[in-house]
Amino acid sequence: MDTLLSTRFRRRWRGGALALSLVLTLACSGKKDREAPRPEPATGSQAARPGVWTLEGAAAPYRGVTLRAIGESLPPLEAMAKLATQFEQQTGIKVEVEMYEHSEAVSKVMLDLNSHRGRYDFILQPHRELGRFVKNGHLKEVKSFMDNPALRDPSFKPEEQLFQRQWKEISWYDGKVYGFPFTALTMYLWYRKDLFEDPKERAGFKAKYGYEMKVPTTWKEYTDLAAFFHRPSERFYGTAIQGKRHEALWYEWLNFLYSFGGDMMETQTGSSCGPIIVNSPEAVASLDYYKSLIAYSPPDTLNYFWDDVMALMQQGKVFELLMWTDATYAVEDPKQSKVSGKMAFDLTPQDKGGKVGQIEGWSYLIPTDSKNPEAAYLFIQWMMGFERQRTQHLNGGSSARPDVYADPSVKALSYSKASVDTFAVARPKPTIPESPQITEILVRELSLALTGKKTSKEALDTAAAEMSKLLGACAPMKYPVN
Amino acid sequence: MAYPRSRRASALVLDRGMGPLFVTPALLLLVVIVVGPFLYTIALSFTDLSYALPDHDGHFVGFDNYRRLVREDPVFWGSFKATLRFVFVAVGIEMILGFLIALVLANQLVRRRFVLTLVLVPMMIAPVAVGLIGKLMLQGEFGMLTYYLRWFGIMGEQTAMLSDPDLAMRAVVLIDIWQWTPFVTLVMLAGMLSLPREPFEAAIMDGAGRLRILWDMTLPLLRPIIGLVLLLRSIDAFKEFDKVFILTGGGPGTATELLSIYTWRVNFRDWDLGYGAVCAFMVYLIVLILCSVFYKVISRRDRMADR
Repeated sequence: MDTLLSTRFRRRWRGGALALSLVLTLACSGKKDREAPRPEPATGSQAARPGVWTLEGAAAPYRGVTLRAIGESLPPLEAMAKLATQFEQQTGIKVEVEMYEHSEAVSKVMLDLNSHRGRYDFILQPHRELGRFVKNGHLKEVKSFMDNPALRDPSFKPEEQLFQRQWKEISWYDGKVYGFPFTALTMYLWYRKDLFEDPKERAGFKAKYGYEMKVPTTWKEYTDLAAFFHRPSERFYGTAIQGKRHEALWYEWLNFLYSFGGDMMETQTGSSCGPIIVNSPEAVASLDYYKSLIAYSPPDTLNYFWDDVMALMQQGKVFELLMWTDATYAVEDPKQSKVSGKMAFDLTPQDKGGKVGQIEGWSYLIPTDSKNPEAAYLFIQWMMGFERQRTQHLNGGSSARPDVYADPSVKALSYSKASVDTFAVARPKPTIPESPQITEILVRELSLALTGKKTSKEALDTAAAEMSKLLGACAPMKYPVN
Repeated sequence: MAYPRSRRASALVLDRGMGPLFVTPALLLLVVIVVGPFLYTIALSFTDLSYALPDHDGHFVGFDNYRRLVREDPVFWGSFKATLRFVFVAVGIEMILGFLIALVLANQLVRRRFVLTLVLVPMMIAPVAVGLIGKLMLQGEFGMLTYYLRWFGIMGEQTAMLSDPDLAMRAVVLIDIWQWTPFVTLVMLAGMLSLPREPFEAAIMDGAGRLRILWDMTLPLLRPIIGLVLLLRSIDAFKEFDKVFILTGGGPGTATELLSIYTWRVNFRDWDLGYGAVCAFMVYLIVLILCSVFYKVISRRDRMADR
């Protein structure tokens, strides 16, 4: 007990000192934490009648509770925050949502979890963070809630209602379930349908390349299209890569890596460790190819991340690129985009790796120090319901429920088919505790390769050596570095 | 001589050694917010604490982290070199430009205040905002500065400063110069205006030219002020974070990865807090060494000048 207490005290103090350091050294967030009074849960008996589960009944003991959550400031979270008012009306449980930029949402959660303040009752986090949360004992397994008949909605059957591969990669770790997908994401091909269908452009393309313009299924075809439409004098570009030193670069390159038949490690699931193959010949070829696309990208492409290329696409300045499912909503929204209705979406082109995509997503997770874990579970379970998922999806979300994609209103979206097709072939990425550090190493080396400071081989060899050293005995290098 | 009663009482309190008592609250505050975290950082640097990796719960590892920094971390030393380059170039140009602008303003009698107010505007903008302004101006598509650099043929159509590893650092330096030259100007101008008039009038009477006066009188008389500004700007530039973070995030590649950015990355991206503490401590140590060397150089020159 003493040890536990002293460890907790140490961690609290460290968390506090770090928070202080963060504030003193950076002092740039501009967002103040609010400490709202936290009402005590209402006491009383369970309101549900035996055999009949109702949300109101299950939530009765927690009426008056305020749940605090944190996530990335994007349309899916805004949609969730709006839906939460319905939940409050039904249950009397209020949900306050803090929204931050991607990295800040992750940092704030790390500080909160390690200081054991328990500020957040549930958190929304990218799945690459899962391993370090689980291995450091920061998350509650949700199985205990799912097995509790007082909490479990009998109509909630995630084993049947979710894309199983996505759920098990995004929200499971070492065979245990820690949450549910807030968004099931992947990347695929975006291109300008209006230009693609323009007879003049098609004729010009055929005259130049000797074959009919078609949706690219190989990287050769992708390059041909990029080269054909690359018109820098008109400020129009064939493609745009996310070359900034930012995790966006790593995410984008993974599409090429997988497609060329490479991977980072030889593993079957994200939660396992295995031999390092990030410097395989396939990986080097993928990086060489990725680099070649700079020639058909805007001049500033090495300082662009997802927001920048998204803005370019919305302004109608790019012909094709690879982009995220949850950004598609914004490019098809006429209020935000000049190319709404002019876009088409498809699978990423293929190489040795065949049809492939990447599994990514944010999860609903409940911290060990959550002050209201049961109420948080009730909210999450409610959000995973079909109607909420459909509404969230139509407002910029990316649901993990297949039945949402079968709904006519969702099916009618121009990007639904591409999402489902890519989900079916998407591959996992590491979620082990070291995975964020692996990302950092690769982002640095990929950036050095793109700038020409290193060759693709040199950059990936360095990354492989650093990854192997970081992971230790479980991750020998399959392609040793000289 | 008889003091009034109240003054005599206060004098007695001070005489009895009560003075330090009144300084105690301020000292305590200083200990809590400066000395405490500093000592804690040093203590952390001898541990393996990581928020990312399990079983790295702050065990004592001796000098392992220091060894790793010195022998196995080329990225840290790359950042160190980049930081030195940034400090020397940016602060050097700021000093020269700031001095020249101050000289012009000191001799300008009409509307000096109005011009000075205009000159000071960049200094008053928050560094994050300066970063955002710089990013917009240098944006490769529609950035105003990019447009003119291309229009004048200084930069190619397919070049963008923040994406080019050879130009990104220049862009960062350029923006730092824009922001901080006014500070140098302000302090230099205050120094120039406070110089005694008589020696200058005597020099003019003796037939000294403008350059001669500048070289043999203005500069030597301003030496303490120049030293102070140089010291303040160097320390500040060494800690530069906000602008670079916004402009390039340390990229492309590692072209603009200053020590502060690297230290942030180790601490708040990798959550490798034991090693991050070593990086932070090294930054402190380097600044301390630079300051003391610099201070000694300045004070030795002053002593030599006094002789």
